[in-house]
Amino acid sequence: MRLPWKGLLVLGGCLVLWEILARQSGALAAYFPPASRVAATLIDIVKSGDLPPHIAASLRRFAEGYAIAAVLAVSVGLALGLWRGFYHLVEPLVELLRPMPSPATIPIAILFLGIGDEMKIAVTVYAGFWPILLNTIDGVRAIDPVLMNTAATFRLGPWQRFWKIVLPAASPQIVTGLRVSLAIALILVVTSEMVVSNDGLGFYILDRQRSFQISEMYAAIVALAMIGYALNRVFLAVDDWAMAWHKGLTRKEER
Amino acid sequence: MKHWSGFGVLLGIAVAWEIAGRFGFIHKLFFPPATKILTSFVTMVVSGEVLRHVGVSMWRAGLGYVLAAVIAIALGILMGYWRAAYESFEIVVELLRAVPPPAIIPVAIVFLGIGDQMKIFIILFSCAFPILVNTIDGVRGVDPVLIRTAQTFGLGQARLIWRVVIPAASPFIMTGLRIALAIALILVVISEMVGATSGIGYFILDAQRSFRIPQMYAGMLVLALLGYALNRGFLLADSWLMGWHRGAMERQR
Repeated sequence: MRLPWKGLLVLGGCLVLWEILARQSGALAAYFPPASRVAATLIDIVKSGDLPPHIAASLRRFAEGYAIAAVLAVSVGLALGLWRGFYHLVEPLVELLRPMPSPATIPIAILFLGIGDEMKIAVTVYAGFWPILLNTIDGVRAIDPVLMNTAATFRLGPWQRFWKIVLPAASPQIVTGLRVSLAIALILVVTSEMVVSNDGLGFYILDRQRSFQISEMYAAIVALAMIGYALNRVFLAVDDWAMAWHKGLTRKEER
Repeated sequence: MKHWSGFGVLLGIAVAWEIAGRFGFIHKLFFPPATKILTSFVTMVVSGEVLRHVGVSMWRAGLGYVLAAVIAIALGILMGYWRAAYESFEIVVELLRAVPPPAIIPVAIVFLGIGDQMKIFIILFSCAFPILVNTIDGVRGVDPVLIRTAQTFGLGQARLIWRVVIPAASPFIMTGLRIALAIALILVVISEMVGATSGIGYFILDAQRSFRIPQMYAGMLVLALLGYALNRGFLLADSWLMGWHRGAMERQR
């Protein structure tokens, strides 16, 4: 693998600039601690066991919420994509709920579920649900009718048709939805922890800002960015592995 | 609107809601009947209370969105067109993009306070990345034949970008703008929930905290309608702006 040295150079330059700017004056450093201090703080709070429980709490909420949203949205989406009548029944409801920004559900979730994990997971499920649902419906609808007719000609049963045609043909769009939801679910976990919580990364970041532990705040943001980056990487790796057949297929067609 | 069955279902839900609310099946206080929510919705709109909050939110979201669009499209063209720029800034962009935007709110509060600037910055930050990434993809995907043809005809660099690269990349740019629109709405609500004294996000959370429950539901209804209207508006603008593109695609078939 070739090293992206230009990119690393720019990144290094940004970090050096950060360091120099922050060291200019003490007043500024209170708001904007130098990069080296943030890095040292990050190592400190991880080693002292201050940060890991918050990371674990956020990751657990994220994983539960995202998994539930994925299962729910893919199954409902497949049903809505396959049966037009069903879709027409719920279309106005979908059109009404879909454009509402998902954080607006936080207050209502607090009312019914309190301020614990259930509330945060419910909000995450709600937010993650929509992109997956809409992409799944689109994916099923866009299946080439020739595929379905061929399946009918070969007398494939409905079960086989579902597993061998519908699911594989719709999967690229489903993956797109899953990818969008990944980011949104993480946003909602952090947000719900900021609005009301006593643990989790969102809580930690906002709490350190409010108690003027600015280095800790930056360190936790860096940790969160690394988690977001890692989650995206893992998703892409799984996607590459699970959808390798699809990528091979489309590449051949292009030639 | 050919399929009335869906509206029947919607009406059914409203009736069930009304009954459940009246008899307190779900919760006497937390689940008011639908008519009560609609009444407070109408009262709020007529008194102008909600319009003030919506106006404030729209101003923040709109300014942040427009700034993000201008900056991200310009940067995206730069990074998509010149390989060196892409290779130089790719890592920084990837790292910044990985930060969930709400995590930036405390930083923005430290630097900008809890006023409008903070919210506009948050919206700018979070909207910029989908637009940037899509613009880069779009510009990099421009058919090299188009660019070489334009060069053969002696187009200068500036005109080449304006007349060839931007139109060819515009479907991708529009995709980025549409994703960013939804994100702008999400982030304006979030930033108003975390630190604000006005705006529709503040209104909803404040209504919940002071147990003005019908107002809370009415505020959510306002947000849903607002999101719907913005989405419609975007689609209209899209079909007007991109009409030439759809026409060109159809001709090719």
